[in-house]
Amino acid sequence: MKDYVEKPLADTSVPEPIVKLISKDLTNYLVIKDGHIVASDLSASFDAIFVGTYGDALPDKLNVFFDSEFVNEHPDHDEAYHYNLDHVNSGLLIHVPRNVAIAERLHVFYLQSEHELVQNVRIVLEPGSEFKYFEYFYNETAADINIVSNSVVRENAKLSYTGISAFNKDARVDVRRNSFVFRYGRSEYDLAEVNDGNIVAKTNIFLQEKYAAGTSKTVAISSEQQEVSFRQMIEHNAPETEGYIENYGVSNHASHLYFEGVGKINKNMKRSVARQSNRGIVLGKDARLDANPLLLIDEYDVEAGHGAAIGKIDEEQLYYLMSRGLSLRAAERLIISGFLSPVMSMLSTDTLRDDFMHKVEAKTS
Amino acid sequence: MSTLIIKNLYAEVDGKEILKGVDLEISGGQTHAIMGPNGTGKSTLASVIMGHPRYTVTKGTITLDGEDVLEMEVDERARAGLFLGMQHPAEVPGVTNSDFIKTAMNSRLEEGKSVNLFKFIRQLDKAVEDLRMNDDLPHRYLNEGFSGGEKKRNEVLQMKMLSPKIAILDEIDSGLDIDALKVVGENVTNMKSEDLGLLLITHYQRLLDYISADKVHVMMKGRIVKSGGMEIIKRIDSEGYDWIKQEVGIDDVRVIEEEEEARVMLGQCATREALDL
Repeated sequence: MKDYVEKPLADTSVPEPIVKLISKDLTNYLVIKDGHIVASDLSASFDAIFVGTYGDALPDKLNVFFDSEFVNEHPDHDEAYHYNLDHVNSGLLIHVPRNVAIAERLHVFYLQSEHELVQNVRIVLEPGSEFKYFEYFYNETAADINIVSNSVVRENAKLSYTGISAFNKDARVDVRRNSFVFRYGRSEYDLAEVNDGNIVAKTNIFLQEKYAAGTSKTVAISSEQQEVSFRQMIEHNAPETEGYIENYGVSNHASHLYFEGVGKINKNMKRSVARQSNRGIVLGKDARLDANPLLLIDEYDVEAGHGAAIGKIDEEQLYYLMSRGLSLRAAERLIISGFLSPVMSMLSTDTLRDDFMHKVEAKTS
Repeated sequence: MSTLIIKNLYAEVDGKEILKGVDLEISGGQTHAIMGPNGTGKSTLASVIMGHPRYTVTKGTITLDGEDVLEMEVDERARAGLFLGMQHPAEVPGVTNSDFIKTAMNSRLEEGKSVNLFKFIRQLDKAVEDLRMNDDLPHRYLNEGFSGGEKKRNEVLQMKMLSPKIAILDEIDSGLDIDALKVVGENVTNMKSEDLGLLLITHYQRLLDYISADKVHVMMKGRIVKSGGMEIIKRIDSEGYDWIKQEVGIDDVRVIEEEEEARVMLGQCATREALDL
C-alpha cells in the first residue's frame, strides 16, 4: 500500500435508511462514511481487540496488517486489487489478539457518499481467537466502488463473516474478499448480494495449512436488466483441508445472474474435501441464471463433488402452500424466503432480516 | 354447517379422461369414505376438488354452500373452507412448519390482521402433543426429511389448526404404522362436529376401524359405482372387490394406466439421456 489519503467529509450525518437499520436491539456497530467513523457504539468486550480506521492505526499497529505475505502480493491479485492498494481512501483494521473470543458480532455499515470509494478492510485473527463480523454496503451517489477485504485466520482461530450489499443502480462495484486460513482455523463467509448495482464480486478462501476449513455461502438476486457475476473460490494449499461452497440465486425479469464456484485442490494436498452446491430459481420469463461449478483437482486422494439444481419455482410446492389458503404471492414469497434462509438466518436483528426481506420482495416482484 | 355438492364431474389430465361422471354430496357432521382399487380415480377426485393445476374439469359442477368452487383459485378454495390432506405433500426447505401454519392462518384473516402469537403457540403445542409428534416439529422445515408417517401426521396437524368446513383426507393411512394410525384416527374422530364434513379416501378398510364413516362409496372406472353403509366395508374386507365388479359389469376397474418410467442404464448420464443428447 503506497499511501493512505483520507478525504475530508462535509456532511457527517447518517442517512435515513441506515438510521432505520440501527434499531434498539442492534448492539456493537460502526458507521463509516467515506472512510470516517460517523457513529459508533461498541460494548466493553471490544476493548480487548483493536478496531480502527487507517488514521487510527498509523503507525504503531500497522505492521500487524501490512507485514503479511499474502495480502499485498498474491497470484490471484489483479489490476483492480492493485488499484485498491494504491488509491485506498476508506477502510477498517481489526486485530483480535491471541486467545480472545468475542461472542458479540461487530456490525459495520460502510457508506459511500461524496466521492469514489476505495475501501480496504483487514481482519487479523491471532491463534485461538474468535470473531464475528457483519458488513453492510450502501452508496448515496453514482460512484465507482472498489472494495477489498482480507482476513487472516491464524491457527485454531474462527471467523464468521456475514455481509449484505445494498448498492443502488448507480453503483459500479468490484468486491474482493480473501481469507487466509491456517492450521485448524475456520473461516465462514455468508453473503447476501441483493442489490441493484453493477457488481462483480469474488470471494476467495485460501486454506494454507493442514486441517484448515472454509465455507462460502452466497445468496444473490438479480432483477431488471442487471448483469451480475459472483465467483467463489476455495484453494487448498495444504493436505486435509475442507472447503464448502454453496450458492443460492434468483434471477428475475430480464436479468442475468452468473455463479462460478471453484474448488481447487493442488498437487499433494491429500485427503482434502471440496464440495459445492448451486441452487437457483429463474423467476423472469427472459431471465437467465448460470451456475458454473469448477473442480480443479491435481491430486488423486481427495473427496470432491458438485451439484446444481436450477429451475422455476416448484409447482407442487406452490400448490401445496396455496391449498392451505396462501395467495400465490404469499406462497412464492415464503418459498423464496425459505430458499434464501441459509444466509438470512445469519442476520442479527429482526430489523436487518426485514430489510433483507424487503429487498428480496422488491427484486422478486 | 356447510355442504359440498359434486354433480356429474368429468376431469382429465394430459388429455386423458379420468373422472367420468362423479356425483357426491357431503354435509357438515357427515363422514364419507371413498374406497376402491388402485388407479380408479380416487386421488384424482381429491385433487380436482382442491384445484390441482394439472387437472382440467371438462364437465360438471362443484359447489360449496352454493358457491361455484371451480371458479375459485386453489387458495380461495382453501379460504372458503376446503382442506385436502395430501397423499404426497410437497417438501419446502427453509420454511418452518410454524411459520407456514401461521401464514396460512393469517391468510384467513382480514388484510393486516394476524393471529395472536401466544394463542397460536399454545394451540400448536397442544396439537403437536395430541398427535404425539416431536416437540421440535414447529421448528423443522416443512416436510423436509419427514418420514412417510410424519408427513401424514403433519397433514392432520394442519387440519386441526385450520379447522376447515370440508376436509378430504387422501390415503392418510398409507405409511402409518398401527400405533400412528390409532393416534391419527383418534384425532380425526375428536375433530368430528356438525361443522365438519369429512371425506376419507382409502383402499384399506383399516382406517375405518378408527374413524367410523356414515356413508361408503366405491369408485371404479372414474365414477362412483356403489354407495351404502359400513356393511359394504365388511363385505369388501372378506370378499374383495370382485362382487361389485360383477354387480356393475366391469372387468378392468382402472382408468389410470401405470406410467412407464424411462429407465437409464447405470453408467449413463441421466441428464444427457433426458435431453436426448
